[in-house]
Amino acid sequence: MSELIATLKVQIIEQLNLQHLKPEDIGDDQPLFVEGLGLDSIDALELIVLLQQKYGIKLANPQDGPQVFKTVRSIADYITAHKSK
Amino acid sequence: MALYINGIGCISPQHTFYNSVFLPEVKEYTTNRMACVDADYSKFFDSGSIRRMGRLMKYGTASGMIALKDAGIDVPGAISTGTALGLPEISQKFLRSLIEVNETIVSPTAFIQSTHNTVSSNIALLCGCHAHNNTFSHKGFSFESALTDAGLLAKENVDNILVGAYDEVSDYKYAVMKKTNELRKEPCSSLDVYGEKSHGIIAGEGAAFFVLAKEKSENTYGSFVGNKAFYKPESMEEIKNHILSFLKENNSSLADIDVVITGISGAMEADSVRIALNKSLFSTQTIVAYKHLCGVYMTSSAFAFWLASKMMKAQQIPDTVILENRNRSPKNILLYNSHKHNHSLMLFKAC
Amino acid sequence: MRVFIAGKGVISAIGNNVQENLASLRNSKSGVSKITILPTRYAETIPAAEIKLTNEELAQFSGLCSNEPRTALLSLIAAKEAIANANIPDFKKWRTGFISANTVGAMDKTETIYKYFMEDSNTDKLLEEDPYDAGYITELVADKLGIKDHITTISTACSSSANAMAYGARLIKTNQLDIVVAGGCDAMSRFTLNGFNSLMILDNMPCTPYDENRKGLNLGEGAGYVVLVSEKVAATLAKKPTTTLSGYANANDAFHQTASSPEGKGNFMAMQGALEMSGLSTKDIDYINLHGTGTPNNDLSEGMAVQRIFGEVPYASSTKSYTGHTLGACAGIEAVYSILSIENGIIFPNLRFETKMKELDFVPVTELLENVEVNHVMSNSFGFGGNCSSVIFSKAN
Repeated sequence: MSELIATLKVQIIEQLNLQHLKPEDIGDDQPLFVEGLGLDSIDALELIVLLQQKYGIKLANPQDGPQVFKTVRSIADYITAHKSK
Repeated sequence: MALYINGIGCISPQHTFYNSVFLPEVKEYTTNRMACVDADYSKFFDSGSIRRMGRLMKYGTASGMIALKDAGIDVPGAISTGTALGLPEISQKFLRSLIEVNETIVSPTAFIQSTHNTVSSNIALLCGCHAHNNTFSHKGFSFESALTDAGLLAKENVDNILVGAYDEVSDYKYAVMKKTNELRKEPCSSLDVYGEKSHGIIAGEGAAFFVLAKEKSENTYGSFVGNKAFYKPESMEEIKNHILSFLKENNSSLADIDVVITGISGAMEADSVRIALNKSLFSTQTIVAYKHLCGVYMTSSAFAFWLASKMMKAQQIPDTVILENRNRSPKNILLYNSHKHNHSLMLFKAC
Repeated sequence: MRVFIAGKGVISAIGNNVQENLASLRNSKSGVSKITILPTRYAETIPAAEIKLTNEELAQFSGLCSNEPRTALLSLIAAKEAIANANIPDFKKWRTGFISANTVGAMDKTETIYKYFMEDSNTDKLLEEDPYDAGYITELVADKLGIKDHITTISTACSSSANAMAYGARLIKTNQLDIVVAGGCDAMSRFTLNGFNSLMILDNMPCTPYDENRKGLNLGEGAGYVVLVSEKVAATLAKKPTTTLSGYANANDAFHQTASSPEGKGNFMAMQGALEMSGLSTKDIDYINLHGTGTPNNDLSEGMAVQRIFGEVPYASSTKSYTGHTLGACAGIEAVYSILSIENGIIFPNLRFETKMKELDFVPVTELLENVEVNHVMSNSFGFGGNCSSVIFSKAN
């Protein structure tokens, strides 16, 4: 799990062009949106692309985004749950 | 209605970023492609928004913000811009990705910046301007139409209008120009303005913005008297008639004009007309050229607008732009530029 | 000074001319169906409102070469119809402008050539590309129409053709031109289809604007133009113009690059500005042709702003349920529909509407209404970059 989380942080920085951040700047349980990292709705779409491109997981309903993309850990959980299927 | 030019902002292949200086050193290009001198844009945008922006988005928006700051205006009365090609580099990034993955899954960030009004709306977003926001994309009429729009706005009682233009040379556009043999043979010098060695054009780009206002300020550069665009003139006579009637409509005449800014570029066909005019109609004016500084692009007349503004305020003509010196000081300036079928006239008057 | 509308022309998924469009509007005949013309991976999965004519067929119809961009073919067909409809004697003697809008130029051409460019940056295919920018479409059509005095192209995303009409009217009001053919055009492209798809705002079924369960928009294509004339030109016409362009305004939401503010600030200001110019009150508006794309975000923002400015909302519907979202063409097409509403005293239904949005107090018109006294119609168009425009058409007395 911690390996997946570490990989995800690198991928998130790359996908969202967060060049001003280093992986260690993002906490595992830090909220990614609004008050946390300050990501927005376009970033949510980019994260959907990331899940599909890197993990082959399709998030069909964008309304699920806020729950899945809450923190790096919640994304990792979602990936783990859906990869094994 | 003449409008005062109260603020300017220009990012170009020359050192034009700082308004405090006027072409301090001329950058020579030995390739047939010029690119904007990049600046530190981080002070214009927060790290959250800059991360998504393509290059043109950065320099286009920044030059608009520089013009507002120069004029001491927080929120303009309206924004009108011109861009012949929109944001090609980032649009093509999106196109490339959708071709690469055969339309499966593409990221939206590039797509949302592909609409041509991205820069003008980004400026509106940054300065909180809810007013009229227009973008014209018509080849060599793009900036000209924005100026006409500004003239209409002024008549509609709008003040402090932010008007500007921006374009970039994308890898794709450059490849097309190369293929169609429009470009000057390398190695070349951008400083050969006209003569044997200047055959062919150098691709260029840039952004320039201006605050046009009804009242003069301490920062006023000069006044923009008016502009006229005309399409597909059939003869030299027609071009001359357009120029003379344009001057007349603006209560001026050839005798009043001190400086003519010419669009001489290395494009043979167009230059032959320009050279003929410089020899006949403009025989007593100082002739100034500018495309050796910014290259050829469809909204380069905005760079010429910047040059006119700087010359009027400094009351000085830099040596590098003088093609024919007839020792006139830059009081009344006429621009005549053309891009293929699009011909453009602008008139300026120093204060 | 009033600006009259002397003629109109349209081509869309619901018809190749004004009469065919009117018949489809009357018969609730939607143009949204399976994609069969545009070569795309999504042909089977995402519906769109295509014009079911190939470029060869459109070329025959328009008189242009079939190699030309599809957007230009559509533009010429609608613009020619508008000019013929205006039937202005001595068209050539007036100062005439062509103000056209489009959002992606000849993208159908570029996206094909670009593929070759990716394989070989020196491909001979590049020789075909040279002039395919937004202005290319306008110049090609202007030349065919014989218009030279003032031509330009506006590209402000989905409000483009509303801004083209407004700019044209302003040139007439300031006596710079006598006649302006104004409107816009856009053809389907993989670029826009994939773009909207990446934003996850395409409905995989025919769209349901203003419905609580709306999922997104359907992309469409087409062109729509009106012929704007001065009072002086109007006086020379055998057929008296039925309508005027009585108000227009553009405002910027300045909220987000693509999304609208929740309260629709830009939308509100545009509607307010257009009303002010026309000298009308909200009670005078008989019908609102909504922007109504069918995306959750647009319909909510627009609906909130409409409700806030109107209080009691008049008849309203989104004809994008017929034509899909035609981007740079939509305000031109919807201008033609607005004028048809005035001329025929009819209100077009908002197709496929079922459930009222919980945030709104009003519902769109769901059945064709006839014998309605329609004097003033407001048409809204809102685009990326917060670009919001409203125009008002009024019965000419």
